Amino acid sequence: MKITRLVILSGMLTMLSFAVQGQDKPAGKNAMVYFVWPQNGATIKGGFWCRFGLRNMGVTHAGDDYPNSGHHHLLIDVKEPLNSSEPIPSDKSHLHFGAGQTEARIELPPGKHTLQLVLGDAKHYPFNPPIVSEKITINVK
Amino acid sequence: MPRRLAAIVAGDIAGYSRLMEIDEDGTHGRVKRIVRDLIEPSIVEHDGKLVKTTGDGFLAIFDSPVEAVRCGIVIQQNMVGRNASLPKNHWIEYRIGVNLGDIIIEADDIYGDGVNIATRLEGIAEPGEVYISGGIYEQIKHKLVCGYESLGDRKVKNITDPVRVYRVLPDAAAYNGARKRRETALIFLLSLTLMIIGGGALWYLLSQFSTRGTDRASGAASSQATKASPQPQTALSGAPATQQAASNVQPLAAAPTVPQVSSTPSPITSGAAAIHEPEMTPLLGGTFAMGSNEDISEKPVHHVTIKPFAISKYPITVREWNECAGAKVCTFVATGKDDAPITNVSWSDAKQFVAWLAGATQKSYRLPSEAEWEYAARGDTQTKYWWGDQLKHGMANCKDCTDAAGAEQPVKVGSFDPNPFGLYDMGGGVDQWVEDCWHKTYQGAPSDGSPWSAGDCNSHVIRSGSWRNDATYVRPANRDNYDTNVRYPTHGFRIALSR
Repeated sequence: MKITRLVILSGMLTMLSFAVQGQDKPAGKNAMVYFVWPQNGATIKGGFWCRFGLRNMGVTHAGDDYPNSGHHHLLIDVKEPLNSSEPIPSDKSHLHFGAGQTEARIELPPGKHTLQLVLGDAKHYPFNPPIVSEKITINVK
Repeated sequence: MPRRLAAIVAGDIAGYSRLMEIDEDGTHGRVKRIVRDLIEPSIVEHDGKLVKTTGDGFLAIFDSPVEAVRCGIVIQQNMVGRNASLPKNHWIEYRIGVNLGDIIIEADDIYGDGVNIATRLEGIAEPGEVYISGGIYEQIKHKLVCGYESLGDRKVKNITDPVRVYRVLPDAAAYNGARKRRETALIFLLSLTLMIIGGGALWYLLSQFSTRGTDRASGAASSQATKASPQPQTALSGAPATQQAASNVQPLAAAPTVPQVSSTPSPITSGAAAIHEPEMTPLLGGTFAMGSNEDISEKPVHHVTIKPFAISKYPITVREWNECAGAKVCTFVATGKDDAPITNVSWSDAKQFVAWLAGATQKSYRLPSEAEWEYAARGDTQTKYWWGDQLKHGMANCKDCTDAAGAEQPVKVGSFDPNPFGLYDMGGGVDQWVEDCWHKTYQGAPSDGSPWSAGDCNSHVIRSGSWRNDATYVRPANRDNYDTNVRYPTHGFRIALSR
């Protein structure tokens, strides 16, 4: 009885300590997210494969709480600044790649568009400090 | 005999027979899932062709060496994530070899030196790594941003000339760094657990000691309180004041009783028999115009005929979800308020719930099809929103359409007006999974209201928009998609029942 109580107690405490570290995951040292393709200023005809590069961290499935890893988010024409205290939004301009994808087929209407990559942790929160790519501009014909 | 030049990718699982020995059914199932969910789609995505799969391996050909290696890296990176939650001896790790060679193609297999070299490379690769031949390296060295470590010329079995071998480092620094960090993290967690157990023991001993102290001091009152703790309702009437007094005097003494109360199983499981079925609203069905011209994904507008069916009046709630979790079918217990919608569920989670409910009630509960969802959301209207063409403040739970901005989200189900069919939260609140696989447009969609299952089933359709989306997402025609197996904090679902 005493032992059961003890185990439950310590179990609860352990869970508590996990709950606290739910977000604000530390970014990997020298971690860098970047576009393999397209390059800033590129002119593109029609749809294209957007390829995501990540250095010094690993790509994993969303939900997998694995140290030094995350999953990609592609921000298209997003002007609002990133809010680090909320999960990265999910809508038509914030595309999620929680299955661990490192590239995606993107189709955009003709005109100038901005693209930016943000790495998210297991719960879709940005890391601390946020791991964000350069915001590139492409021209779709 | 058709011959051609191709990049050949050979992969196999390291230690397959060992894995089969540990858990034959489990390993077989996991490997099948990996082939279906990861290997096959990755090959297709990189314009390759799967030649064959064997029990523990696969063989694929690609036109482009760059795509072939990229496919190998994608598979290896994804496997890291898939293994992460498992103990090391259950890891499924692929060894992958890539070679460029002239091959003979037959209906269901490929032959030639080039194929043999690819499998030899795979044989010498370390688990989790991609080894490539000199021929591939020459083709990709300036095109693919990653590191290559030369392993020199290797003599491989039954091949006369030595083969130059390179090891691909998708991310050299990350690889070693991650491994070291993983070890330190494990040690840290271990010591943390030990410290907590130690601390808990100390605390417990201390509190035991002081309980005995108060026992002696306040006599009957506190012993009554401790006896009462397993059934608080019946005992509280007896001595609420004394119990409170006792815990005020000695808060530590009260603490150990808390886990005891919560450790008794929830009333749902101990009650076992009665399942609280979600409230269902029957709909007559009929023909309606599905889609709109507002977004490319909603085109073309097309007529769909819906058979009579019933749909849940509200999104599935935390309370309803937790009955499934209590039955040990749904994999997690939700923590929100009982009448808040369940959130952070993947499509697969939602499917698990309906399968459980259908089994437990012997009724054909299921997810609605996308067409059924839109029919139900429109409630016989053809306007932009179900209440008209103009956005009206306070009609739905979305960003910028209520004053509930400061409220704790998600607010409880049914907090806003129902639509003409008497359904709540059809638009705004939580995103809702439907049965259909994702299709970018309605080109080729079924017109009989059935779910559209062929297509990209790595992602499924979500409807309704959430409290974090703006007003365009509240429209009944709006549609979006999300990865099938990924949870996101605004995603919930509602259920349907065939009539």
